[in-house]
Amino acid sequence: MKIFVIEDEKSLREDIVEYLSENYYKCDVAANIQIALQKLKDNTYDCALIDIGLPDGSGIEIIEYIKNHNPGMGVIMITAKNALEDKLESLKIGADDYLTKPFHLSELNARIYSLMRRRNFGGKNALSFDGLEIDTSEKKVIANGFGLQLTKKEYDILVYLASNPTHLITKEALAENIWGDKADMATSFDFVYSQIKNLKKKLNEANLKKYIKVVYGLGYKFME
Amino acid sequence: MKLHTKTNIYTIIATLLLFSFGIFIVYQLILSRLDREVDKQLLIVKSNVIKELDEVAAPNKLFSNQGYSFYIKKIPTQTIFDNQFIEYSEKNPNTRDINHETIKRSLRFQTTPKKQSYDVTISVSLTERNRIGDYIALVVIVFLLISIFVLFIVNRLISTFIWSPFYDTLSKIKTWNIKKNEHLVFKPTNIDEFHLLNDTVKDLTQQIQADYHNLKEFTENVSHEAQTPLSIISSKLELLMQETNYNEKQHKLLGQTYHATKRLYKLNEGLILLTRIENKQFAEIHSINLALAIEEKIEVLEDFIEAKTIKIEKILNTQTVKEVNSVLLTILLNNLLINAIKYNLEKEGLIKITLDEDFFSIENTSFQDKIDKQMLFNRFNKNSISGSLGLGLSLIKKIVDFYNWQITYTYKEGIHKFKIYM
Repeated sequence: MKIFVIEDEKSLREDIVEYLSENYYKCDVAANIQIALQKLKDNTYDCALIDIGLPDGSGIEIIEYIKNHNPGMGVIMITAKNALEDKLESLKIGADDYLTKPFHLSELNARIYSLMRRRNFGGKNALSFDGLEIDTSEKKVIANGFGLQLTKKEYDILVYLASNPTHLITKEALAENIWGDKADMATSFDFVYSQIKNLKKKLNEANLKKYIKVVYGLGYKFME
Repeated sequence: MKLHTKTNIYTIIATLLLFSFGIFIVYQLILSRLDREVDKQLLIVKSNVIKELDEVAAPNKLFSNQGYSFYIKKIPTQTIFDNQFIEYSEKNPNTRDINHETIKRSLRFQTTPKKQSYDVTISVSLTERNRIGDYIALVVIVFLLISIFVLFIVNRLISTFIWSPFYDTLSKIKTWNIKKNEHLVFKPTNIDEFHLLNDTVKDLTQQIQADYHNLKEFTENVSHEAQTPLSIISSKLELLMQETNYNEKQHKLLGQTYHATKRLYKLNEGLILLTRIENKQFAEIHSINLALAIEEKIEVLEDFIEAKTIKIEKILNTQTVKEVNSVLLTILLNNLLINAIKYNLEKEGLIKITLDEDFFSIENTSFQDKIDKQMLFNRFNKNSISGSLGLGLSLIKKIVDFYNWQITYTYKEGIHKFKIYM
């Protein structure tokens, strides 16, 4: 799958490409609107990540171009602004999803993953691993042939982790994924911890102990 | 006390003293002048008497006319050779009033026209003279009172007129707002002092405004420019964490660095938000039902409420609708609720939320004592427990101010209460 990363900050662009490449995406990059539009004429991509604040104008221009010329392409908007109002604005413009800086690379990956699933499989898809199947359209988890009863939060955490297999997901990223900007509460990490504990317990009972690994002091990993 | 009231009072006191002294002097002068006039008359009468005594042998009571009374006595030898003027008071025999006395002036002299010596006293009533004196005094007093009254009015008019540029300047300074980028324009004046005052105030305010804007711009730029490097640091750290083969110590260091970066970012985000509110970047408003908004926020925070087994009591007027910006309202409610949860008791705390047409209040139990009101809404009022920087209350205050609402904080028997009047 090909992802087009339009971001003017070189360092950030490289990080995104590196992280996405590890997840088997092919990436192309552009640092400004001019190059981006040129590349969009010559190539096709499955998804575009567009930073709104570009040196030669607003990324909205690119979104409009994509919506007119290649409506099948997924668009995730990145913005430095930290307000909720931009979210509505971005969806109005035609972006499929929206991220504010700084975002967790794992969060970005999960968003792309979820967007691609919605786009390519009409919302019907499942994350499949050895003995574990997560049906994201039905929001069901099948573990070794049996349905696994998870709470909504446990399910969300599992999907988030499974979207970033073998990657370390920090507890901050998990907390932010669940509660957004309210995640800085002291209790939120404890809460993540207890949710993970319950999730692990349920997976253990289904003999799927191997999937979630705790990385001491940092976060969690979903092992394939 | 107003400036011209004070000036007026002093002017009037000085005028009163000066005039009273003046009246006293004038009165005395007039009286002595009148006395001399009376004395002159008495001397004329005296020469008449001497002439008469020369011609008539026994002139007793001959001259009792023209308002003068005479007392003539034969004496063996003349002992007094000059004129003696005496002023005395005499009880009036015609009235029963004991206190009623007539002031008289008399001239006593002795004369020896033809061998026989006489002692003569001519006296005249001074009632007429006193009446003239009193009359003059009255006229002067009336004049004085009228002058003072006119002076008062004129003073008032003049000072109102003269000081008007000053009061104009004063009222303009009073309503001047540093946050509004407005230049002060004063009423033109030809009084040097006021001109100087206006120029000085103008210079000062422009200087303050420039400093304020520089400072604001600096904060804005710093927090804005810090965003990108912070994003890079956190994404680099995230990539760094993806590496395996770390030992426990390295894990810990990495985790702490990452956590600190996140905190720095949150802080920066808060600062940017504060500036954005200050810059009125949340102008868009919607009609929002506050009861629904509150319920919604509570639902989002349910996990934390349950984790601490906090009991929520709600008395919400479901009809309360306000025209506000939804982003600002969300920030306001979230911050209030998060504070109420964060600083609540670890077990079985209580949060009470009340909403009515014109106020909203949130009460909570807490492990904290009373918060110092002075510090309450200051930025960076660092809280000892959480280690988080206290931008939350500062944001709340900023939003409340933005809508011209009022926020109060009270503490009673372990319950912290924030009340917002809308």
